[in-house]
Amino acid sequence: MDLRYTETQEILKKMARDFLTAECPKALVRKLEQSEEGYSPEVWRKMAELGWMGLIIPEEYGGMGYSFQDLIVLLEEIGRNILPGPLIATITSTFIVLEAGTEEQKKELLPKIAQGELILTTALLESEGVFDASGITLKATPKGDDFVIDGTKLFAEMAHVANYIICVTRTKDSTSADKGITLFIIDSKTPGISCEVMPTTAADKLCEVRFNNVTVPKKNIIGKIDEGWPIVEMMLRKGAITKCAESLGAVENCVEMTVAYSKERVQYERPIGAFQALQHKMADMWTAMETSRYLVYEAAWMESEGIPCAKETSMAKAYVNEAYKDTAKWAVRLHGGIATSDEHDIPFYYRRGKAADIAFGDTDFHREIVAQKIGLA
Amino acid sequence: MDLALTEEQKVRKQEFYDTCKELEKKKPASLLSMETVFELDDCWEYHLHCAKEFAKKGWLALGWPPEYDGKGDMMDKVLFAEARGYYDIPGVDIFGVQMLAPTLLQAASEEIKKEFLPPIARGEVMWCELWSEPNAGSDLASLSTTAIKKGDEYIINGQKTWNTAAHRADWGFGVFKTDPEARKHHNITFILLDMKTPGITIRPIPYLDGHTPYCEVYFDDVHVPAKNIVGQEHEGWAVVNLLAGFERSGINEIMSMFHGLEDLVKFCNKTKRHGQLLAKDPLIRNRLAELACELQAARALAYRVADLQNRNEMSLMDAAAGKIFFSELGERFAFLATDILGPYGQVKTSRWAPLGGLWEKMYHDHFVTSISMGTNEIQRNIIAWYGLGLPRMR
Repeated sequence: MDLRYTETQEILKKMARDFLTAECPKALVRKLEQSEEGYSPEVWRKMAELGWMGLIIPEEYGGMGYSFQDLIVLLEEIGRNILPGPLIATITSTFIVLEAGTEEQKKELLPKIAQGELILTTALLESEGVFDASGITLKATPKGDDFVIDGTKLFAEMAHVANYIICVTRTKDSTSADKGITLFIIDSKTPGISCEVMPTTAADKLCEVRFNNVTVPKKNIIGKIDEGWPIVEMMLRKGAITKCAESLGAVENCVEMTVAYSKERVQYERPIGAFQALQHKMADMWTAMETSRYLVYEAAWMESEGIPCAKETSMAKAYVNEAYKDTAKWAVRLHGGIATSDEHDIPFYYRRGKAADIAFGDTDFHREIVAQKIGLA
Repeated sequence: MDLALTEEQKVRKQEFYDTCKELEKKKPASLLSMETVFELDDCWEYHLHCAKEFAKKGWLALGWPPEYDGKGDMMDKVLFAEARGYYDIPGVDIFGVQMLAPTLLQAASEEIKKEFLPPIARGEVMWCELWSEPNAGSDLASLSTTAIKKGDEYIINGQKTWNTAAHRADWGFGVFKTDPEARKHHNITFILLDMKTPGITIRPIPYLDGHTPYCEVYFDDVHVPAKNIVGQEHEGWAVVNLLAGFERSGINEIMSMFHGLEDLVKFCNKTKRHGQLLAKDPLIRNRLAELACELQAARALAYRVADLQNRNEMSLMDAAAGKIFFSELGERFAFLATDILGPYGQVKTSRWAPLGGLWEKMYHDHFVTSISMGTNEIQRNIIAWYGLGLPRMR
């Protein structure tokens, strides 16, 4: 057992921190939140040069061939700094291509993803807003060598700038909701697709994607027809860990900023950090960070080693969701009035805490998985 | 990062689990926690029996150097604690094996080590801790019980309190004021003493559930050989700090809760209320799942603490965070379990009590971990002052 980062991971971490500090200051984050696109093509290009989009793509497809664990190290730094844009949407969609794509699809897509030439997203949720298969009603109907997709997806992150959308559709009605699900990878320029950005807490460009009788060739199916749900589960599982890593980094930053501020801010002739009422709260924030950390690392290690970890992942996601929101809330509270201003950096984290909670399954969704996995009838 | 056990570790872990599972067969039904071990005669006898069994295998000296007949390494110690925790098997003297032995190994003279370590490894001598006093709890260094040197003896006068198992222990280790003139933290000596020494009076303190795991210990001109000290005379505070750092992962308590959760899940899977299984109640599912997540987080942090201890990079902060977390998880667990049990959550061990009355007991016993070994509020100070670098209280 060795819970330390490897040397490669330490290098990756430092590189990421230096890059993000220089290239993605909070002024840019603020600007991107208010922009239409929600990301900076210039920073995206530089990230591609560093190999981030291709980090987990094998070298034979033009990627870096790093492990899932290494990706977690990178995402922790990203969460710490905040990096608006389609990186997580692209990486989690890449998981689908990697695991379920045909050789042809992989050869076509992966090198371009690694080069930063393609932005991907996955359109999963619909009007019910649930993360299980029962929420998938959008129909894909066969027509000759094609399928016709008709319906609306919601909460598809960065779909408005995506080159490809992986759409989770229902191709067969079945007594069991997770049968009859099929995934298509669709060029976003296909006629009949329209996108609208939803106004959200984190201004993270979640989109409504309307498919108006969109014709998609059969060859664009990813995985097997009617048997797509396990792929979605895999994506949700890996996505949940990546989101946890991002949240962990954010929690670290909330703790550090709060501790630093409490040493500077003077009231009653002493730094407010000298008051035990605040010290104990900060100790609790730090404890929430450390408990989150090793829970996330455990799940990430298992995923990286190919050990089944649905339980551990759901435990991590359910726990970190709450830890992030709570730590960010206390970061605002301990800063006092100043952190309720939109001009302060802490609100970025508070708002993103809610978005991170929902992404890849909220707390109650994951607790129900845990309930099943610990053996409740 | 690598969380895998080596093949040898897996084999030893299995042996620890198998042995504890075998020992569990003879466990008295009344043994619900370490507190009951100290109180009830049959539980104490069982504790001594387990200690002998473990001693035969050399497991009371895990992580000790070979010259003191040590066996295995620190990781084995963690895996052993995990197995014992899961089956709630006593047999490892918290005070002798877990606290004193590693302290002696680092801070005691060769003579003291040779005299006191072998009986601990053989499971023959049980220890207690003589630290707190009526007016020295969290602020331990303000203690006032004196040990005044006279010739080749110390003569001890005063009172200690909250001494877990003092009425069972053969020997005690304590801190006493040996130089009343010197300044705080430099006037204390760490002394080992035979609990049968004339002048010692032990009075059990009734705990809030009527049980008696703790004692007060009165010293009236108690003569102790002056050689029985650990560390330098008057510099016992350093030894206190050293001791406080050992075996802090909490893995034993955490694994005990894992087993408790499994049993509670089984209970919910077979118990009906309102015509449906408790396991089908969405609120119960959600609350148990929440607790399971926290338990997993506690274990993950405990491994972190153990990993650091193994490489001698002990972090006070992580140990403090782990202690706060698992002890307060124990509180939440006791409250949740007694909620789920409904009116049966208040029934003490008897034919009416589900799960042997464990959770009624835990409703009281959780204070042991949150208050002892440095209250959780002191642990939060440790994180704030030594970890986060916030100004110390004046």
